[in-house]
Amino acid sequence: MSNRDRISPDENMHPVAGKPSSTEAPEAQSQEQKLQTMISALWDRSRHTVVERAATLRTAGDLLVANRLDEATQLSAVDSAHKLAGVLGTFGLPRGTDLAREAEVLFGQSTPPGKVEIERLQVLLAELTRLIDRGPLGPS
Amino acid sequence: MTHRILIIDDEDDIRQVAAMSLETVAGWDVLLASSGKQGIERASTEQPDAILLDVMMPEMDGPTTLLKLKANGSTSHIPVLLLTAKVQGPDQRKFAELGVAATLFKPFDPLTLARQISAALGWKEGG
Repeated sequence: MSNRDRISPDENMHPVAGKPSSTEAPEAQSQEQKLQTMISALWDRSRHTVVERAATLRTAGDLLVANRLDEATQLSAVDSAHKLAGVLGTFGLPRGTDLAREAEVLFGQSTPPGKVEIERLQVLLAELTRLIDRGPLGPS
Repeated sequence: MTHRILIIDDEDDIRQVAAMSLETVAGWDVLLASSGKQGIERASTEQPDAILLDVMMPEMDGPTTLLKLKANGSTSHIPVLLLTAKVQGPDQRKFAELGVAATLFKPFDPLTLARQISAALGWKEGG
């Protein structure tokens, strides 16, 4: 287990994980490769949160289709979409950020979305789910 | 020169990936806080070289945290960079008026985050 694996959310000082040491062999991984490896591991650990947020969006979308979307669920969907927009691109899913931003706008409208917008929302949520299921390292 | 950066963000995965980025790419020391309140306390006691502050947080949001940091004599000198997922918006001017050093956007590129911070603060290095 690496230092990074032991970090808790409220831990005080961040240990320097992956920082090259003076004894490191010349053929050691580049900084970029190390960072990608660490981010991939972080994605694996964070994936359940991302999946939950996408599920929140789908639930809100289903309620919207049924014309039963309440304010609390709508706000939760906006928040989840906002968080997904912020994080997916950082994990290497820029298309996921675009879709989540679009969902944030659609769920955040003050007036109920029309039929075309609801259909668009269903399409983009399906694509977002597929992207997250595939992950940043999946086949394109 | 090794810089010390305080990251204040309620999202664990964002804190983690930003910390990995700054530590691995630039070799900086990273401090973490998961709320505005905790961030203000850490900034006051640890005196980081800069603060990366999320805009949207529960309880105390980024702009409120920024105002408190600027009003506190022990933290007012520390440059603050806001981190936001909102690309457009009239908020940018408001942030500048609050004394923010720069605004960075989510999603960020972990490979270039340190460089963005260095450029914004006029630091010569940064990965």
